[in-house]
Amino acid sequence: MIRAGAAALRAWSRGRGWAALSTAPPAPPAVLEPRKGLSPEEPPVASPVLRSCSVPVPSPLSPVQAWVGSLRHPQDTLRGLADLHPDVFAVTPRLDILHTVATWQKNFRRISYARVRTRAEVRGGGRKPWRQKGSGRARHGSVRSPLWRGGGIAHGPRGPTSYFYMVPMRVRVLGLKVALSVKLMQDELHVVESLELPSSDPQELLELARARHWGHSVLLVDTNEFPENISAAAEGLKSITLIPALGLNVHSLLKHQTLVLTLDAVAFLEQRLLWHDSRYSPLVPFSLPHRDLPGAA
Amino acid sequence: MSLGKETPQRLRMCFGASRKEEREVEADGAVPEKEERSKPNLMHPPPRRRSYVPPENLQSCLESHVREVFGPSVPEDWQQAPLQDKRLKHRLLARLATELGHTVPNSQLHRMRCAGDVLGFYRTPVKDSTKIDELTAAELPPNLKIIWQQ
Repeated sequence: MIRAGAAALRAWSRGRGWAALSTAPPAPPAVLEPRKGLSPEEPPVASPVLRSCSVPVPSPLSPVQAWVGSLRHPQDTLRGLADLHPDVFAVTPRLDILHTVATWQKNFRRISYARVRTRAEVRGGGRKPWRQKGSGRARHGSVRSPLWRGGGIAHGPRGPTSYFYMVPMRVRVLGLKVALSVKLMQDELHVVESLELPSSDPQELLELARARHWGHSVLLVDTNEFPENISAAAEGLKSITLIPALGLNVHSLLKHQTLVLTLDAVAFLEQRLLWHDSRYSPLVPFSLPHRDLPGAA
Repeated sequence: MSLGKETPQRLRMCFGASRKEEREVEADGAVPEKEERSKPNLMHPPPRRRSYVPPENLQSCLESHVREVFGPSVPEDWQQAPLQDKRLKHRLLARLATELGHTVPNSQLHRMRCAGDVLGFYRTPVKDSTKIDELTAAELPPNLKIIWQQ
């Protein structure tokens, strides 16, 4: 009893520490204990979790919707209904933009370190091997020319080559929007109120994913920190990955079959991705400090 | 020269052996998991089948649910009942999902604007089997045989 109370207190203090950094309201501590006791059975019937868009939706468009579930029980999928902004989750499916952004992600970090020696760099070969005329052999000027075995390479890779290039920020943002829309329209996007698990058993998490027909690979997205149970459960698993919302990218979205977002992550993504639709062009790069950027600092 | 020819073969042998060991380990790891899963799971029932056949009393069932959820504010034609309010929509769709065992997927939720759309959705059956499974189960002419091993 005392141990359970102490564990709940520790969990609560950690939750408060996290809530002090983020703008979301802190989770009430007293609710943790009764939920832990009821986790193997059906969860108690609560009022539905309804979420409307924080950013207003312009008039001809109407929001798209998704069920809000929770990870506490495999059948707990219909907890509420969330509105999703159509300019983020219902964009035209531009596959060319997905290709552009995914290729950029793969290549912009690439530095190829291949380097071969040219005829000037290969050791030796300064002297003419035999005289120009009269020996009966073909005329050559150096033993290390590209024609010779052991000679230099004529047009080979030269030195560390960088394949760095940048795709415009708005195209990258649109790529994320297209990827999210495609996930929603292919029934591979799920919204969850929080990533709290009843236990930190990886097999339980796999069973949950299997029972809900989630697919081979699952990407779980939350805003800041993850609860301990889910980070412990997903640590050993290869098919389930945890990502903070800042790290969401087109390659991960395409690589994993299912995407699971928390409500905080949905709000974060909507705010960040929609800001680019109505911002001014930067007079100074965004990497330098600005006063009015969305999000922290 | 001879060393260069032999060492890649030796390396391949080493890697081949380690790959076989990995496969054996994976097989060992997979078998006890399968045995555990085959035991009757009270905590983890097998995932629900995705096939859905609309029941015969669908329309009356739906009408009763709509009247229950909307209460006195149901319009004359119950199929025109709007689902703009998220609370009512969630209540209605959650009840139908638990009763019929078939949920409206996320991609279709925004299309459910009135009760008639919901009726149209629940009228469409959903098949679980692939075309080859259907062909094997169907009656075939005597000179056509399908051997399909899964």
